[in-house]
Amino acid sequence: MNLFELQQGSSRELQLFPHIVSTGCKKNNAIHLESFRETAVDFFRIYNIIDGKYEWRVDEEDLHLYPGDTVLILPGRKLSSPKGFLEIGALAWIHFEIDCLDHAKFVPGRWSSLNESECYTIGRILLLNRSLAPSKACEASRILAALQSELLNQGIAFHTRVNQLLDELLVAIARELAKEANPGRDFSKVFFQLEKKLRDNLARQWSVEEMAATVGMGTTLFNVRVKSYTGFTPTNYLINLRIAEAIKLLRKPELNLTDIALDTGFCSSQHFSTTFKKLTGYTPSEFRKRNTGDT
Amino acid sequence: MDCIISIELGTNAVRVYAFDLQGQIIGSARGTYPTFHPYPDYSEQDPEQIFITMLYVLKNLLNEKIHSKKYRVTAMCFSASMHSLLAVDKNGAPLGNLITWADNRGQKEASALRGSPLAEEIYKATGTPIHPMSPLVKIAWLKDQQPGVFARTDKFMSLKSYIIQQLTGRIVLDHSLSSATGLMDIHKREWDPTALGYAGIRADQLPETVPINYSPGKLLNQYRVSLGVPSAMKILVGSSDGCFATLGAGVWDQHKATITIEDSAAVRVIGKDVLSDGKRRLFNYVLDDTHYVSGGPSNSGGVVFEWFAKQFGDFRNAFDLETCMEDLIKEAAMADPGAERLLFLPYLLGERAPIWNAQARGVFFGVNINHERKHFARAVIEGILYEMYSIERMLLEHRNIKEISVNGSFASIPFCTQLIADIFNLPVRVSANASSVSMGAYLLAATDIGVYKNIEEASRSVSLAETYRPNVRNSKVYAGYFSVFENLTGKLADDFEALANL
Repeated sequence: MNLFELQQGSSRELQLFPHIVSTGCKKNNAIHLESFRETAVDFFRIYNIIDGKYEWRVDEEDLHLYPGDTVLILPGRKLSSPKGFLEIGALAWIHFEIDCLDHAKFVPGRWSSLNESECYTIGRILLLNRSLAPSKACEASRILAALQSELLNQGIAFHTRVNQLLDELLVAIARELAKEANPGRDFSKVFFQLEKKLRDNLARQWSVEEMAATVGMGTTLFNVRVKSYTGFTPTNYLINLRIAEAIKLLRKPELNLTDIALDTGFCSSQHFSTTFKKLTGYTPSEFRKRNTGDT
Repeated sequence: MDCIISIELGTNAVRVYAFDLQGQIIGSARGTYPTFHPYPDYSEQDPEQIFITMLYVLKNLLNEKIHSKKYRVTAMCFSASMHSLLAVDKNGAPLGNLITWADNRGQKEASALRGSPLAEEIYKATGTPIHPMSPLVKIAWLKDQQPGVFARTDKFMSLKSYIIQQLTGRIVLDHSLSSATGLMDIHKREWDPTALGYAGIRADQLPETVPINYSPGKLLNQYRVSLGVPSAMKILVGSSDGCFATLGAGVWDQHKATITIEDSAAVRVIGKDVLSDGKRRLFNYVLDDTHYVSGGPSNSGGVVFEWFAKQFGDFRNAFDLETCMEDLIKEAAMADPGAERLLFLPYLLGERAPIWNAQARGVFFGVNINHERKHFARAVIEGILYEMYSIERMLLEHRNIKEISVNGSFASIPFCTQLIADIFNLPVRVSANASSVSMGAYLLAATDIGVYKNIEEASRSVSLAETYRPNVRNSKVYAGYFSVFENLTGKLADDFEALANL
């Protein structure tokens, strides 16, 4: 194990990479009590556990980390250790800055060659999942090691290689997270999980990109798979769910139509009424009248 | 030009087909809906989602393939999965989800009833084996476990009744589906007082039971306008998926049987007599005023092979599950018949006919150090088909079956069809139609509007394509394996139970 630490500002190796805040590989030989206080994470942090067993907490979530595990901590999350110190062991890390990550978009920075829609998908996956990249994402640890070795050795075209490897690292982690979120071989299971999320959040304005990202797929493939599995485009499937739920709510006379429309994800009672009538021939209030014992 | 629409409310999806009056498919569409398992034995669906999905699919098909080509819809005929139950209150609102045929929550009620003297009487009167699938048992479960819902239930419906009520306002159920509820006297074709008594309900809490060619009236005006169909269009209640698949498979003769293997599976025959089975293993469902569809259902169909593919298939090159299964079938074909002494009992979901044992489990038997994946793949396919053959053997006690027709996505894979010919040692023909169920619905509607003289002539008009002939040498091999298969299944009954009780 090659122990080192590079810091932006003081390490010459990072001059060409202003987005990399720090990276390194270190061994912790002794316990320093109270050395690990809660920190609000400022940068994009990726850790790879090399040796030892760690217990960390990210926001409310307890992580038990073993050699081979990769942890990703997004800016804004709170990192702490329930014990208050860093356990004995060894780990590698990289902290880097990104331009933007929120529900609308993910912009890693000019160094990245990922395109806009790829970034969107990766961003959604990162935000929707836990911090731990599961199942010993060896891929990620190999890429991090390669990246660090490029930085230290500065071989031919290392400037490009380092940035490429950082992209690779993001992709590997996103894929690994998405794989855990869905058992990839079985689209029926993947779709069932998505369906549950849609049902639980019907009021939300889902975009197709967002639905695709939820199951870790690109939009084009997602469209094809959903159409071939359900017979519907994702948008039409969602409309079916909305109308079916609305029918249930319409049977409850105490609810008003605007609330039903908003609860089932229509942007207005007008929009609800047109869509409902187009499919059933009834306006929502006609349907309600017919189905609440009035006839 | 006139056309007929069939609407198939299946286990996972609604399929809508449009036929011209020569029986050619002029368009089809499908839309899926999910099954929920809130607890392991539960299997439920959302009736409103099914209704909306059906409307959507129907409307799109009409717009894209029918109205645009100036077809006129003459009749619309319904098919549905058997054994579903939906409790509905006095305002017509569902009290919870639809309980499907695959739901096993009533195991305790079913075994209590099976052990009681009522069992024989109810089975003989209703033709439905006593099993958690049966709405009779499901209602008994509701009475025991959810007395509040039971008391608030105004009508115990089937999915089809609910859908037809939405469309027409009438609450009806055809004789075929009624006869699969465990509540109808199949001889008199009316609700059976003994079964009603056991379930604790009155006949007026069930839909009106009507012949399969009954018309419940016109579409409600709003749906007629929204779908753009003529007001003269006739609605036929239709039959069950099982009965229609048999009708559409063209097996009208005494010496023919049909095998359907989709996710689940069945072997069926048509006849004028109820087949009485002392061990209460066969079903007898009503087709029309003079005919019954009899046979045995199995849980162990294509779903078992799909499980194998998901667990052990090679997904490195396969784009999806279908490709992976195709690859495995190619591999299986490389192994010899009998898979070098490897046998598989396919009871991953328990089993219905012939053993009716919910506790049964899957078994690989005879594993040897030389066995490879191809042997396992072959053994799984052979095991599924031995199970079909064991149902056929029950039917052989009543019928002299000389010819088989197969339909359904798994049975019509050429490799599987040839295996069926070899294992059954009978010539096998494949239905030319993509869906025998919808073909059956078309035949009923076409008979109703006068294309055929009667339903028998309609069924005989079905053309069956290629014939697979048994390979005599392989048949002998399989006969030997089948007897071990049958022995094993019998011997393991106690151990299945012991395992379940651990």
